[in-house]
Order: sequence, then C-alpha cells, then structure tokens
Amino acid sequence: MSSRRPRALLLIALIAGACALGGAGTAVAAPTGMVCQNGTSFDLTARSGYVETPDGNSVFMWGYARTGGAFQMPGPVLCVNEGDTVTVTLHNALAEPVSIVFPGQRPVSTGGGDPGLLARQAPPGGQVQYSFTADRPGTYLYESGTDPAKQVEMGLAGVLVVRPSGHPDWAYGSADTEFSPQREYLIMMSEIDPDLHNAVETGATYDITKLHNRYFTINGRSFPDTIQDNGVPWLPAQPYGALVRVKPYDATSNPRPALIRMVNAGLLNHPFHPHGNHLRMIAQDGRRFLTPSGGDASSEHFGETVPAGSTTDMLFSWTDQDKYSPTNPLPVTIPGYNNLAFKDGDTWYSGSPYLGYKGTLPATVRSQNVCGEHYFPWHSHALNEFTNFDAGFGGLATLLRVDPPAGCMAVPASTKIVTGSLKGGTYASLATDDSPATYYEVNSTTVAPRRTEWYAGFTGVPAGFQNLKVSYKGRSSSSCTQTVAIWRWATSAWVQLDTRAVGASDVSIANLSPPAPQSDFRGTGASAGQVRVRIACSGPAVSFSSSGTSMNLVYDAP
Amino acid sequence: MRALADQRTRGIVVLTAALTIAAIALPRSAPSAPTVQSIDLCAKSGTTTLPGGASVPIWGFALKPDGVACGDAAVVATTPGPQLTVGAGDTVTLRVTNALPGGRTIALEAPGVDFDAGPTDAAPGDTVSRTFTAVPGTYLYASSGGGGRQQAMGLAGALVVRSATAGQAYDTAASAFDAEQTLVLSEIDPALNGSANPDTYNMLQWHPTYWLINGKAHPDTDTVDARAGQRLLLRYVNAGLEHVTMTMLGLDTRLVARDAYALDSPFSVVAETFAAGATADGIVAIPSGASAGDRFAVYDRQLHLTNGAIGDPAHDPGGMLTFVRVVP
Repeated sequence: MSSRRPRALLLIALIAGACALGGAGTAVAAPTGMVCQNGTSFDLTARSGYVETPDGNSVFMWGYARTGGAFQMPGPVLCVNEGDTVTVTLHNALAEPVSIVFPGQRPVSTGGGDPGLLARQAPPGGQVQYSFTADRPGTYLYESGTDPAKQVEMGLAGVLVVRPSGHPDWAYGSADTEFSPQREYLIMMSEIDPDLHNAVETGATYDITKLHNRYFTINGRSFPDTIQDNGVPWLPAQPYGALVRVKPYDATSNPRPALIRMVNAGLLNHPFHPHGNHLRMIAQDGRRFLTPSGGDASSEHFGETVPAGSTTDMLFSWTDQDKYSPTNPLPVTIPGYNNLAFKDGDTWYSGSPYLGYKGTLPATVRSQNVCGEHYFPWHSHALNEFTNFDAGFGGLATLLRVDPPAGCMAVPASTKIVTGSLKGGTYASLATDDSPATYYEVNSTTVAPRRTEWYAGFTGVPAGFQNLKVSYKGRSSSSCTQTVAIWRWATSAWVQLDTRAVGASDVSIANLSPPAPQSDFRGTGASAGQVRVRIACSGPAVSFSSSGTSMNLVYDAP
Repeated sequence: MRALADQRTRGIVVLTAALTIAAIALPRSAPSAPTVQSIDLCAKSGTTTLPGGASVPIWGFALKPDGVACGDAAVVATTPGPQLTVGAGDTVTLRVTNALPGGRTIALEAPGVDFDAGPTDAAPGDTVSRTFTAVPGTYLYASSGGGGRQQAMGLAGALVVRSATAGQAYDTAASAFDAEQTLVLSEIDPALNGSANPDTYNMLQWHPTYWLINGKAHPDTDTVDARAGQRLLLRYVNAGLEHVTMTMLGLDTRLVARDAYALDSPFSVVAETFAAGATADGIVAIPSGASAGDRFAVYDRQLHLTNGAIGDPAHDPGGMLTFVRVVP
C-alpha cells in the first residue's frame, strides 16, 4: 500500500465522520433501532474513556472511536454493502499495540503497523490499515486481535453489517429475509469485570483467569439504561439503545418482521431469552441456515445461546394470537390491582392485560406505560447476568415493547359547553361506540342563529407523539352544518378538520389528521399533555340538539 | 508419527498419538469388511509438560501392548489418551485395566456408543471390558469416575469410527474430506492435578489455568496442515469439563455432524460452542488460491489464551490456540 493513501483515506473518513455527527445530509438517529455509520472507508482510533452503569458506577474502558470523535462504547456500527471494498484505518491512542480482526471476512489485507499474533497491529501513536471485500451479507463482529483476552474485555469491539446488494431491506440475498427497515435492531452482548478495568487504569497487575464479571451489557449499556433512546445526553459514551419496538403482525398493514441482529462480543456464552414470541433464527455468523437443496432451515427459539464471538440474525414478528380485549376477555379471573405487588412501586404494566387499554393501578405505583402497550423482558437467562453488580434487575437485558396496532387511543377526560346547554350524558358517554349507543347531548341556543358548540378535553398525550388522528361519531336532531376542529395551543386558535351536514342518523368521521407540526396541538406547561377537540353545529331554523356517541384520538407514542 | 489413521492397517488398533498433528490425507483405499477386534488400554498416572516447562501430574490412558503390564515403564499415559480408530460395523471390545494409584475405581464411558450390557467399572487392578458395534462418527471416551475428577485429571480421549464410504466422515456427501485432524479440547487446573489426593479436591474451587488442544497449549500446539483446495475435516472432541467456543479467522467451518449424528442441514459458522462431553465434525474448505505458509488462527473465543499464573514466562499469549497452515 502506498504511503500516500492512508492520509487521503483519513481525510475522507474525517469528512464522513463530521457528517455522521450531524452535518448536512445526515439524518439524526431515530430514538430506537440500529444506528449505522454508512460508508466504505472508516477511520477509527483505539482510545480510552468511561462508561456509566445504572448503579452509579463509572468504568474505565477502551474502545474504537471515530477518529476525531468522542470515545464511545461499543465501536461504531459499520454498515456496508455487499461487494464493497471496505477499508478500515486504525489509529492507536493507547499505550500498547492494538489491532482489529474481522471474523468471517476473507481475505483481509493489511498495510502498515507491525506483525502480531492474529493480525498486524498499530503501535502506540501509530496506525495500521485493513482492507477486505465484503462479499457476503450478514452481521459480523470486529474486535481486537492483540492480547484479546484483555483488550476485548476492555471494550475493543464493534459490529460490521453487510447489506445484500440492491436490497437494504433484506437481511440476506433473498426475499424471504425481508424485514421492516424501521425495525432493525442490534443486540450486542458483552460483559465487564470492573476490577480488571481498574487494574488496567491504574497499571496494577491482574489475573485474567480470575475474571469475575459484574456488569453485563447490551450495546454497551446495562439495563435499564438499555431501554433509553439512542444518543441520550446522560450516556454520552454509550450512544446505542436497545429497546425493541414492534406492532402486532398484520398480513396487510404490518406484514414485515423486525430484524434482530445479535452479536456476542463478550468472553462468555450468553443464553438469550426473549419473552413474548419466539425469534426465528435465520443465520449464524453471516451464513444462513439452509437445507442441502437450498430450502429454509431456520428455526424458532425462546432461548438460544449466542456463542462468544458469534452472531445470529433473528426475524421477529409479534402475533396477537388470541386478540383478547375487554369484549373478548381472558378466560381467567384477573387479579385485582390491590392484590398485585409492584417491585419498587414502579411498573411498565398498564393496569389492563389488554393491548391498547389502560386500567387501574394502586395510587402509590408509578406506571411507565403510555397507552396500554405491552412490555416483555428480553434478557440473558444466565440470571446472574440479569443484574448490575449482583443487584437485579439489570445487566444483560432490554425490553420488547409492543405498541397497539392502531397506535395509542385516548378518549375524552372532560367536556365543556361553549354555546348551548347540557341535555344529557357525560364525557364518559363518548368513550366507546357502544350499542345501544349512549350519547353526550347538547341543546342548541333557542334563538337564531341557533348553534351548539362544545369541546372535549384529552389528557396524557405524551410529548413526541406522532401521527395524531381524530375520530368522532354523532348526529343532530335537525340537520345542521357540523364542524370538527382542534385547538392549536401554539396560536390559541381552533383549526378546522372537517365540515359537513349532519342529520338524524349517526355520522362517523374517522381519522382526521391535523396539519403539521402536530406538536402544536398538544398543550405544554400547565396544560401539558392536553388536546382539545371541538364539535360545533349551526344552521337549523328550529331549536335542535347535537349528540355524540364516540370521540377519540389515536397517535403513535414516542 | 502421523495422526492420520491409515485404514489399510485396520484390524489392529491404529495408534494415533494425539499429541502430534499432521493432516495431509493420502488417497484412500476402499474400506475393508468389518472386523472383530479388541483394544487394550491402561488407566494410569503420568506427567505432561506444559508451556513454560511445568511438569504436571496426570491420569491418562495408554495403549497396552499384548503381554505387557500396565506398570511397565514403556506404557506411557497421555492426555488426551490415544486416538482409537475403528471401522464402521466393526465389533470392538474395549478393555481398560485400572492401574491408577490409591485404590480408585474407574468408570468407562463413551457417550453415544451403544455398549453391550455389562459392568462399567473396574476396581483397582481389574479390567473393565465393553463391546460395541461401531457406528461412524467422532466420539469421546473417558473415565467418569471420581465425580468428574478423573476426566479433569486427563482420563479422556477420542474414538473415531470411520464411515464405510471412503473419504467421508459419515454417509453424507457433505462430510466428504481430503484431510482430517482430530482436535481434543481440554483444560487443566494444576492445583487439582498436583494435589496429594485429587479425590478430596474441592471441585467448587477447580480453576483451570491451562487450556489445551490435543494436550498442548500455545505456543506448543501443533499446526493443522492442509493443502490449498483441500476439504479439511476437523473432528472436535470436548474432553474438558467446560463448554468451549472455538472460532477461526478467515475460514468458515461447515458443521456436518454433532455427537456423531450427521446433520440434515449442515451449516457454516465462524464461532461455535462445543458442549462439555460433546463432539462435532466440521469441514473447512481451504481456498484453492491459498498460498503455502498461509495461516488461519483457530482459538478459544472465550479467550482462554494464557498459560498458568501471572509471572509464568509462558503466560501470555498461550492457551487454546493453533493455526491451520497451508502446506505445499
């Protein structure tokens, strides 16, 4: 390799790095899901830093960081395309030689550096360059090949993803590995013995054969930090979350599975146990499971050990098999909330066993539930790894979050009449499209122009909601011109969503979508979480009454 | 000595000292008809030399020549024990004479081998004799006595039953190979092996510090040699007490069998876990473009890559590491 080339590559990588850090043309990472650093040339620096653990500890680590970027754990997720010639330049800011091996890639050519046991390595202050053709799609590890028992444990590892040519939404080169690109997740497992890290930091001797891991991580974080969003500011060196979010499988509206890329970068074999539904294991180490004739030989698992240094790819759909709901109740007696115990007075449970519904919880319990979504723990079933320094729950765990299929639903929590007077019913009459119908009814004014005007108040709509839709069903005793409007808190004005004539039969108006930015329609400050929807009707020459039987909001929770 | 068993000599047990490695296969002659044969072993004490020159006591198996007593100095125990190689359909009688010191009973086992009914144990000085009809595959044989201590001391080895089809490990095309090597994986805790009475050693404190391939640790391990374009059969035998995850850089291993059962759907791996007591057979395709001298690291990805205690001159790097080497 020529001596000029590394410098040119370094420059390219620095520019790419700047983009990845938020420059023009690079989208901000989604809150959940795998965060790629796309490219074919990567410039990494082995350096030291610290990670935070949920019990308040701070652990000295070594890691691969973007050259010029901040220390991070694990190293950047390098995403390339099948057939790419991939070049990785490694700079060494540590005081001992380091290297990278790329298990599953062949052949790897190297330039610069010094010979090492498993790979050429960069001396302190020096660099080495690796190049290979990413000829096979899949999920791979990259990690130190120098004194690996120490250096991999110290954190020198990352993930390489090779996407099949022309099909970024396939895991491999065939359509049966298609997945939902919005639901691509990385679960990279590792473990930490803080005594070793302290010894490395202080220059003390340590006995690697007496490794006693106390922290167990996914994507460099320990539970519950694993469920925080990507890039949260309070975990500056651990940018990758591991919350897995899906909606129930539906053949038409949600047919594609999520892709779970599992990587064991640790020194231990981790038995991974997903609650909820099985995972379908389609590949190991970037090689698919196929029959001799090329058919599908994948298999479903609720507990699968990912070997140390290995990867497995899983397709995952969550199927609401029984579709239990308040009108299709579970065939067992649900214990009363006052007979349930909630560890530390905290829960992800909604209070209702039904997807999309919330129920009653003891007043002393804090629920993390947004709108009746389900949560399932995904964790190492070596249960000593389900801890932070022996205290559970923690460690090598994350959550699967199953959102209601239609999004979160909210029903009115109050009503207020602006024009007219109450004829009957309450805000609760609007909660369901019940049969026989119960109505919230408002009498019009009795002199022209005769008019009814009332609004319903919704509470608890979370900041960061998306895809808000309004639905209303009602009628009028005499045909009137009905408008549906929503309160824009940002400008203190009603924004009309619909207008039409309504008569003596119920008219259903579904899924009205307020204009962007929808965040304007959610109250803040003292009104945080409030949404108001107004129904007004006018026109008849006689007095009339307006009657609503259902009104609701649906939205995607953040 | 060649590790590669030569089928032409079957009928007598093929001594394949597991401590040496070679792998270049010769053109294979058609297997001969099944035979009736017996294998005589001794279980006795010995020593092994580990990197850094440490000499560690072991209990191991040794081949027992006709008419020679187990106590004879020419009968040398090794860990792992000698590889036993027989042919498919052979009627094999495995006889092990218990020459362990200290009045200990041994218990012969070979998971997956369907022994005829009979006693499993041998009291001190006695011989246990077990007969089976050989089914192709890669097996472990060991003494399960002493609550696992006898195997931890070294009483384990590989049993290979050759397929009736020449050039295949099993009756599957996927198991075709040109060269082969058995890799017996094990570990040693010198504190157990050096203790005055291993039978009273607290196995809760068993803490191996040597991790071995065919009884040797890096840098003493032998390379696994193969030629460009060859299909290299690796017969993994986990003779230790712990699961072992092996990885190989630069080459895939296509697993064609586990525990002597051919897989319906072989699959390729970079790293794979072999459970304690389990065996697996993998085919490694050496690229036809590989050059003589090319090396591909094969090692324990749980990164047991040290020898002995800190301060041992051979401490780091060491452990369960060797290389597949391309030879002319």
